[in-house]
Amino acid sequence: MSARAGLLVVEDLTVTLPTTRGPVDVVKGVSFTVDRDDTLGIVGESGSGKSMTSLAIMGLLPRGATATGSVRLDGEELLGRPDRELRRIRGDGISMVFQDPLSSLNPYYTVGLQIEEAYRAHRGGSRKAARAVAVEALTQVGIADAERRAGHYPHQFSGGQRQRVMIATALVCSPSLLIADEPTTALDVTVQAQILRLLAGLQERTGTGMLFITHDLAVVSSLARRILVMREGDPVEYGEAERIFSDPHHPYTRALLESVPRIDDDAEVWL
Amino acid sequence: MIRYLIGRLAGVVLILFAVCLFTYLIFFQLSPDPAVMICGKTCTEERIGAIREALGLDRPFLSQFGAFLGGIFAGRDYGSGATLVHCPAPCLGYSFQTDESVWSMITARLPVSATLAVGAAVLWLLVGVAAGLLSAVRQGTWWDRGAMALALGGISVPNYVLALVLQYVLVVKLEWLPFPSDVAFSDDPARWFQSYLMPWMVLAAGYACLYARLTRTQVIETLSENFLRTARAKGLSRPLVLRRHALRPALTPVTTLFGMDFAGLLGGALITETVFGLGGIGKLAADSIAKNDQPVIMAVTLLAAFFVVVGNVVVDLVYTALDPRVRIR
Repeated sequence: MSARAGLLVVEDLTVTLPTTRGPVDVVKGVSFTVDRDDTLGIVGESGSGKSMTSLAIMGLLPRGATATGSVRLDGEELLGRPDRELRRIRGDGISMVFQDPLSSLNPYYTVGLQIEEAYRAHRGGSRKAARAVAVEALTQVGIADAERRAGHYPHQFSGGQRQRVMIATALVCSPSLLIADEPTTALDVTVQAQILRLLAGLQERTGTGMLFITHDLAVVSSLARRILVMREGDPVEYGEAERIFSDPHHPYTRALLESVPRIDDDAEVWL
Repeated sequence: MIRYLIGRLAGVVLILFAVCLFTYLIFFQLSPDPAVMICGKTCTEERIGAIREALGLDRPFLSQFGAFLGGIFAGRDYGSGATLVHCPAPCLGYSFQTDESVWSMITARLPVSATLAVGAAVLWLLVGVAAGLLSAVRQGTWWDRGAMALALGGISVPNYVLALVLQYVLVVKLEWLPFPSDVAFSDDPARWFQSYLMPWMVLAAGYACLYARLTRTQVIETLSENFLRTARAKGLSRPLVLRRHALRPALTPVTTLFGMDFAGLLGGALITETVFGLGGIGKLAADSIAKNDQPVIMAVTLLAAFFVVVGNVVVDLVYTALDPRVRIR
């Protein structure tokens, strides 16, 4: 299969959540494609359904939620597969980096162990061998003195370092697709830039396809080749990033673009 | 670590000293004159005076308290001349009722309370934690609702009611168990086990219900943690996710509570021991309070305080071992 046929093909994905007032569609007929070595940005405000889309791809929807449509990874349908089979794909075929690295890491275990277990879940082998892989992964994401740091607990790392640990965990099995769900939102602005550079660099080296989810158009502008804009579960606009920035078709996209603060804005004094 | 331990132990000593002081003040200074109580109905002023002197009750408060404390560490003498009685360390005095050494009364009864506490603890941990875990994993099912309703009911049933019901059903009606009696393990292990089974069940029931509900809440809370989603996103198997990522965070608070509950029980299970007529610390406390036997009340209070305070330190140390975020400096 050629790369252009799409690494991840999502067609007409609809996610329904049960509520006390009956089922509600939180994602309504979303379609997109991510290629190898390619980044798709999904942009929308909170509640737009972008995180539900990523959880549906991973098969990690909350209890009671249902997904219809089609999600294919390398031509293989993922929707409706039993959890046991999806488990083999999670962390191996598709990995995920979450928004808040502190709460996403288990405070009770060393980061080394948390990377090791991701590796051993798919590749097996001894703990010692997995530790070597984990140390290498930490080095790859720019953690200095990785061998010693692998023995440290999450609370002994800074916010940016924790997200590096999460990225190392996600990439330890060399997945073909990486889903980054607001990976920089919880971080300081300077650290955000470092993480974005790290992700772009790693993608260049490994050729991993990336689904980058954010509420911030400015963040995605430097990374994504294509962009999907979502609002209240609806796909609002989908196309090449350049085109969307220069000629947004939908009024909502225009509003989003205008909400991005620019350095050349007329300074208004609110004092 | 060593500095921390020394600090904590100093705290333990200080708290126990304060407990001693207040208990002594309440039971020897503010309650009816012990000498009058010992003297009985046909009593003369001289006799009361003699008893007061023999017990050292005629001395000022601090001197009396000092003698009491000194007795614990070095032993002490009561009376003088021909009536002199030496009480070896650790001396907690003599019972006003039976003239028995309080220390030997305590040491004779502690094994009963300890047996009761250990057996009940094993039972309630097994049943309570297991039921809570199952309920959490099967949240919202009939099992969950049934178990939690039962647990809520169980918490509301008083010990003595449950004891009477169990005795009626298991001993009188079904004749499955003998009526509990003080049988030493070394004499007849099978009979010992049968004797303790019902007291264990009664003592454990309330705790088991409480622990089931607590465990369920803790596990459910942990299951919604972000790091659990991460664990699943890594492709870990469900048993591994539960065992490694959910259990340890969920059970750490349960451990803390357990330490405190268990320590409290070592100081005697008053109701259970009394209902089943087991001669433990709790029964001793109840009897001595009824008879205003001050040296015994004093000793029982101190013992309970000792277990609670030491239990607290142990719990803190265990917590630092369980949760890497809590580290002693």
